[in-house]
Amino acid sequence: MSTVTSPASVERELAGIVGEAHVTHTDFEINGVVPMAAVSPGSPEEAAAVLRLANERGLVVAAAGGLTKQQIGGVPERIDILLSTTRMNKVEEYDPGDLTIAVQAGIPFAEMQRQLGEHQQWVPCDAAHLEHATIGGLLATGAAGPLKSTFGHMRDFCIGVQFVTADGKVAKGGGRVVKNVAGYDLMKLMTSSYGSLAVITRANFKVFPRPRQTRTFVCSFGSLDEALEFRTRLFKSPLTPMCMEILSPRAPEYLGDAGPVHDPDHYAPDKPVSLPALEWQIALRAAGSDIVLARYARELGTAVTRTLDGAEEEKFWKHVSHFEQSVLSRHRNAMVIYTHLAIQGVGPALQALERTAPDYNLIPAAVGRAATGNLVLAFMPLSVDPPSAMQYANCVSAFRGMLPPGSSAEVAQCPTEAKLHFDVWGTTPTNVEMMRAVKRAIDPKNILNRGRFIV
Amino acid sequence: MDSSIIRQLRKIAGKETVLDRPEELMLYEYDAGVDKHRPGAVVFAQTTQQVSQIMRLASEHKIPVVPRGAGTGLSGGAIARREAIVLSLARMNKILEIDIPNQRAVVQPGVVNLELSNATAKYGYYYAPDPSSQKACTIGGNVAENSGGPHTLALGVTVNHVTGLEVVLPDGKIIDLGGKAQDSTGLDLTGFFVGSEGTMGVVTKITVKLTKLPEHVTTLLGIYNTVEDAANTVVAITQSGVTPAALEMLDGWMVRCVEANVHAGYPEDAAAVLLIELEGMREAVEEQAEAVSAVCMQQKAREVRRARDEKQRQLLWLGRKTAFGAVGRVSPSYYTQDGVIPRTKVPYTLAEIERISKKYGLIIGNVFHAGDGNLHPLILFDSRDPKQTENSRKAAKEIMACCLSFGGSITGEHGVGMEKMGLMTAMFTEDDLQVMVQLRNAFNPESILNPQKVIPDLRYCREITGPLPKAKVEPAAGMPV
Repeated sequence: MSTVTSPASVERELAGIVGEAHVTHTDFEINGVVPMAAVSPGSPEEAAAVLRLANERGLVVAAAGGLTKQQIGGVPERIDILLSTTRMNKVEEYDPGDLTIAVQAGIPFAEMQRQLGEHQQWVPCDAAHLEHATIGGLLATGAAGPLKSTFGHMRDFCIGVQFVTADGKVAKGGGRVVKNVAGYDLMKLMTSSYGSLAVITRANFKVFPRPRQTRTFVCSFGSLDEALEFRTRLFKSPLTPMCMEILSPRAPEYLGDAGPVHDPDHYAPDKPVSLPALEWQIALRAAGSDIVLARYARELGTAVTRTLDGAEEEKFWKHVSHFEQSVLSRHRNAMVIYTHLAIQGVGPALQALERTAPDYNLIPAAVGRAATGNLVLAFMPLSVDPPSAMQYANCVSAFRGMLPPGSSAEVAQCPTEAKLHFDVWGTTPTNVEMMRAVKRAIDPKNILNRGRFIV
Repeated sequence: MDSSIIRQLRKIAGKETVLDRPEELMLYEYDAGVDKHRPGAVVFAQTTQQVSQIMRLASEHKIPVVPRGAGTGLSGGAIARREAIVLSLARMNKILEIDIPNQRAVVQPGVVNLELSNATAKYGYYYAPDPSSQKACTIGGNVAENSGGPHTLALGVTVNHVTGLEVVLPDGKIIDLGGKAQDSTGLDLTGFFVGSEGTMGVVTKITVKLTKLPEHVTTLLGIYNTVEDAANTVVAITQSGVTPAALEMLDGWMVRCVEANVHAGYPEDAAAVLLIELEGMREAVEEQAEAVSAVCMQQKAREVRRARDEKQRQLLWLGRKTAFGAVGRVSPSYYTQDGVIPRTKVPYTLAEIERISKKYGLIIGNVFHAGDGNLHPLILFDSRDPKQTENSRKAAKEIMACCLSFGGSITGEHGVGMEKMGLMTAMFTEDDLQVMVQLRNAFNPESILNPQKVIPDLRYCREITGPLPKAKVEPAAGMPV
């Protein structure tokens, strides 16, 4: 904070922009840091005025939506303004015939999906917490779930984006039509930028007809190798499932409604687990008519151990999407890693998980997209020893060391104290200097999410 | 061009790889679009190191460099302004790796689009983006333009199929963006770079996704007595829940033009035809074919034909893919538009194009990606007649104004280049463009690479463009985002 500005005077100025009712104090912590003030602008123009003020005074701003992913990233030195987009929460335009929708960034995803559902349409995203998670937040974090296997993620659906830059410009990229190469692809740049480049205020999406019928085939295998061999056979088959999710032996413990928590600091199952779990599973979700689904059953044959449809199927996939939250709700000291791998990196990464976790007194569990290399890996502390910060750091380093070249793995969740001992983002195949140059070009004073993202 | 520069270029790339005689340079003064400018020199790089050295040399002497692939672009992106060096990547044409287990291929930028699909077909895979020029255009050029094609309706355009790039920056630095993984930690600079039209860096290596060849493919030909019925069918199909692999439309004039050229099997008395391709699992394709045929008939199709065999299917596509060439046979010049509109506005916009055609007394043929709302009206004119030339530009402007009035785009896949630069201000505000320039400067701070392309010079663009003619309809609800 610069010496000439007192918190009270900043708050008065913020109130002058957005109205007194929309400047509040929050006790919401981001990795232990409490923002000085929370501000909710009602329009992109108000957001621009807030950012202009922050930029002039060198105040650090964190954009926020449904607060579902704020703990991801490094520990910030300070956050002066938590800029919430939740008042900008309308559908601006939706014409089912065009299969496009324009929404404000603060709308919860589920609300948009509900309106699309009235016309049997959807944006195929099944990330976690969609009731609360906002469009802006989902874009900023590049959030995705099992549907990413075939549909891709927000980057692939977003056809237009409006955002506010650190110096208070309201700018946009793309448009409202599904095919468009006019100007640079700012949608790609904003997606997964974790609020480090600008504050997203609106977005346009292409939408899809919602499949009328789906069925899920769960296949079980005695080892990871067998599961991966099965995956290879699937790639060679004519089948085109919309989800292809791999589940590690211990994952099913976290695919259900959480039971009573016995020991929030450690892995402590409700019932003693008598046998070591060995079974790896691949869950396939297919869409189509009865005839198409019958073909799946025929081709998959005896590999299928369970077939799910209807409400049971919905529930299963919702649990897969919420795997990470289920882990964290039971073990607050658990560590969660997201991976980005080539297809053949999935095997080595899962082996690395199973091998490194026990070395550091951690229990491994994983779900993930077997066809795209986006895995969610959980490491839960055993109760033998209170986990030390260095234990996490060493485990991450050992785990990353076992990944094939070209992979990246970010630590999405772990105790804040541990984050001081290693880089949560890690290395990445994309030139980091270039990323920083892009960041400097658009936020030269580094007021947006300073110290939290890779740039 | 300064002879010492030519000497240094020859030293870098070899004696035979630099062109500087006027008769040689003439061949590089145009692309497949309408603009023309003669470069100062053309150099053919063969390695990434050479590209890097050439860029360093150019940066030191502040000489603009324009990267170029096969020169099939339609917006002047690969045309050099003033005394620039054209850096041809056409000789960097090796497929470096076909990695089936990871469903990726690594290619040099000069690899021809179709050659990659041909090379991977034996493994049961192909490279999905298929611009009509795919027999000639290079993948490097596709990356620069974020090229589309008929089959990008279901599978997405180039950016959805590129996972990694090796890029040479204007100062000669070589950097990697992404790799074989679907995505990676940090900013998605790979996605941001695709479609930057050679204004951010020179691509020297590309990692692309390979797509599994579908089990079954079928092509339907919907035949219509009115353009309107065909256009309504497009809307009805997209609403029916079926996403075809491709959904193309040709109007009656184009049908006759194509038939005279290749005998694709389109009925010459049709007012419009729809070419609809469905692919996937055999059972699914059969069901979709029935559903789509029913939709066509409900929308008053005269007839729906289905390709009996692969030969007939290829013939139907030959008609579509050679349509531009067919027009070249009947008209001395034509001007291809690339506007995009929301799908529901296709019927209205086609009627508007018909009105504009009559107003200027120019034939306008329509062949386009109907499923995406990406129009390609071809305005026929005789460039020897100044009046016709002027009218063709006026007609183009009116068509564009119509697209924009629906919140559409000035370009769906051909790029902005130099041709549509003046129209950028009709889609974007000064702040939008300013941000784009700031971001470009992170890569290309002195505008050595492909200067005066994509983003207009903000101080002058208004005067150059002039106001757009007012469209007959009012925008539905302004142009938010």
